[in-house]
Amino acid sequence: MLEELRLILAKIDADYADIRYEKMRETTIAFNGKELSRIGSDTTDGYVVRVLKNGGLASVAFTKFADAERAAKRASENASLIFRNIKEPVKFAKTKVVNDIFIPALNEDPRNISIDEKLEQTRNYNNIPLQHKAIIMTNLWYQEVIREKYFLSTEGSKIREDLITTQLGGMITSKDGTLLQNVRASIGGSTGFAKLRNREEVFEQKAKLAVDLLRAKPVRSGVYNVILNPSMAGLFTHEAFGHFSEADLIEDSPTMREKMRIGAQLGNDILSIIDDPTVAGQLGFYKYDDEGVKARPITLLQNGVLAGRLHSRRTAANFNEPLSGHCVAEDYRFAPIIRMGNIFIQPGTKRLNELFAELRDGLYILDSKGGQTSGENFTFGAQYAYSVKNGKQGELVRDINISGNLYKTLKDITAVGDDLMLCESGGCGKGQINIRSSHGGPHLLVKNVVIGGA
Amino acid sequence: MEKLLDIARKVSDQVEIYSNEQTVDSISFEDAKLKDIDSKLQSGTSIRIIKDGRLGFAFTKNLIDEKELVNNALASLKGGVEAKFNLPFANDLPHLNTYDPSIEDLTPTTIVDECNRIARILVAKTDGQVNIHAGRVIAKISLKNSNGLNLSVKSSHYYCSPEIMYPGSYASISRVMNTKKFGQIPGEHLDFILDIYNKSVQEAIPGSDRMKVLFLPETIYVLLWRLQSATSGKSIYEKQSPIADKLGKKLFSSNLTIYNDPLNDQFPGARTFDDEGTPGRYFPIVEDGVLKNFYYDLHYADKLDVQPTGHGFRSAMWGGEAIANKPSPTLAHLYIKPGDKSFSDMIRSIDRGVIVASALGAHSGNIPNGDFSIGLSPGLYVENGEIVGYVKDAMVAGNIYETMKNLVAIEDRLYPAIMGTYPALLFDDVNVTTK
Repeated sequence: MLEELRLILAKIDADYADIRYEKMRETTIAFNGKELSRIGSDTTDGYVVRVLKNGGLASVAFTKFADAERAAKRASENASLIFRNIKEPVKFAKTKVVNDIFIPALNEDPRNISIDEKLEQTRNYNNIPLQHKAIIMTNLWYQEVIREKYFLSTEGSKIREDLITTQLGGMITSKDGTLLQNVRASIGGSTGFAKLRNREEVFEQKAKLAVDLLRAKPVRSGVYNVILNPSMAGLFTHEAFGHFSEADLIEDSPTMREKMRIGAQLGNDILSIIDDPTVAGQLGFYKYDDEGVKARPITLLQNGVLAGRLHSRRTAANFNEPLSGHCVAEDYRFAPIIRMGNIFIQPGTKRLNELFAELRDGLYILDSKGGQTSGENFTFGAQYAYSVKNGKQGELVRDINISGNLYKTLKDITAVGDDLMLCESGGCGKGQINIRSSHGGPHLLVKNVVIGGA
Repeated sequence: MEKLLDIARKVSDQVEIYSNEQTVDSISFEDAKLKDIDSKLQSGTSIRIIKDGRLGFAFTKNLIDEKELVNNALASLKGGVEAKFNLPFANDLPHLNTYDPSIEDLTPTTIVDECNRIARILVAKTDGQVNIHAGRVIAKISLKNSNGLNLSVKSSHYYCSPEIMYPGSYASISRVMNTKKFGQIPGEHLDFILDIYNKSVQEAIPGSDRMKVLFLPETIYVLLWRLQSATSGKSIYEKQSPIADKLGKKLFSSNLTIYNDPLNDQFPGARTFDDEGTPGRYFPIVEDGVLKNFYYDLHYADKLDVQPTGHGFRSAMWGGEAIANKPSPTLAHLYIKPGDKSFSDMIRSIDRGVIVASALGAHSGNIPNGDFSIGLSPGLYVENGEIVGYVKDAMVAGNIYETMKNLVAIEDRLYPAIMGTYPALLFDDVNVTTK
């Protein structure tokens, strides 16, 4: 494969070019209630070529090898067009030439497990919620994605890396009269099929929660002090802070570059945030990004002060900051963009009961249900919450949606727990999906959070 | 495709082959300067085979080995996914004007020149940061099945979406132009975003209350997403619809009519058939506030013993691939009937309220139940009929079965927007929460 790619690159007239070929095998098993709605394994593939010429950078994603020359020509023409229309030429930060093959070690390679066994495992978990009378529907799926990635650049880098993701999860829906409630369950990661075994308690707990939510009180809209559990803390870190650490999102915004300058005091000194794709075993693990840059841990916020950010080769040169290895594509249909790998708040010193005592009155909010950011502002959902009165956990509350402002909220994080949990499923959608976007954190105490209610 | 059909026909009762090809050039301007040009040359094929009432499904990007694709579908068949429906036959469908050949000659240079022109106009009239996304899409879809169905559609699409950003944020005011061929963006689109942005540069804090809320066409999807969930044949079958027993009943204000119309070829993407080959037609979901129809694909129509309605699309949310998805009930051509108020009259009628200009978090929250709870990115605060500032740290929340009963005005024009083509809608008595 690498030889085929080399032939394409050799024909490109450019200052720099790279090409990525990927072969992707997806296995999907899905249940809607008791009915199996999908099963099968499929293989797809494709190429992405990028050309840097005279300071213009352009990319073309193509499916057929026969289109390679057309694609390279178009990328080259578009790069020239960009050059004619920009004031500041695009430059790439220097990176080491890498020649490596990296195949991650797995605890049970899913390729060695029969589809029948995967079907059985999925069916077993799916049956757990369906035993409850009030659960009217499950939409649970098994998804296995095996990506073989080949990267070649005109600088001489040659990399093959595999990314193997296995996940099992989905939605559990309960109903009482016309009231519908749903919760999400999800297990899995980057370490192999073993992570999906013996996890019945996750589906039992979520099924019970879906039933209990039918009798929970809707939250009253208003401004609350809250404790976020690690799942919520992770989503919060990802949405509220992480996206602003992605240099491509602020590169061309003078006002945001000013707010996000290195050294800016953005949070309290108890707050430190790291993105580290290299932590073994977590969902977001990878060795090289899709520009062939080796990933490394980046301290983004150190004791409340902005200390670093996530870069591509282009933005690292533009900001004159070190490379981080965070330029990643969803798959062979996309040019890479800057993505978080595994972002989390560093654990602090407070035990959970101390956070409750400090909160006194408010909400304990658990388990994320998706979020979105406009940079400065963010909104995200939670699956459930408990009211907290006098430092004691009270009744179950539902319909939790939070909104906030990055700059204000970072300063409103007033205590950080001593625990740390990372998520087992990602799914960030910044133009492209990243199923391995990993986040987590300790429990957090956050003041003045807007809750919309319903 | 013919060879694939022949191979698959020998090992099954029914076969369907769906394939697509797409050429895309996307151009982005940031801070009024050209930033990126990304192109895509993509294609793919997917196959469904039905044998003994069971379904086999497989797909590939590069169709090199037909036998391998059929074998993947046969392997999938063993899993036992039920499929009792019959694939349709319909070949003589009306002609729609979906493709303008001039799109083939549209070069990135022409689009970049147009974006430069727009950037110059906007930069001269506003201090806000100007971003523009524009591009062209040429797409071809082909569908064949073992009953002799043989349909294809070629479409052209040019889009241009300028936006003005609020400082320190990605919150913006935008208006998209969606056409079948290249043309200059109408001056009124630029005037609209300039006017709204320039009136709202000061931050406003409306205070928490129930008040009038106006959804711009660009944010109507927040509400209709919930309705689409509730009226889908899939939700009806799975008992996940809170309005399953409300057909013929009045749900919303009587001036509200919501319909699907795949045959309207005024906008890009019109279709005479869905992704399963069922012919499409004008199809009311809500007429004068009354719930008229649920919509189905072949599978869920069969499950519920009703006629398929031509709504089986390989909908690929979050940028997924059409070929990798089985058809499912989808409202791919959704409209709201325009009303009788101009946009400026609607604003003037607001004593105190918020305009939802762009929404955050439409996908979270309890969608099946009709609940929405969105951040404003931004909202615009209106007092005594005038936009007085922008609102950022606020949420608008409700349940569509309450909110959409309180519709007080509908704009007299339609705009292409996310998940459909809509006018602006003004509601009364909606919950707004701020710090």
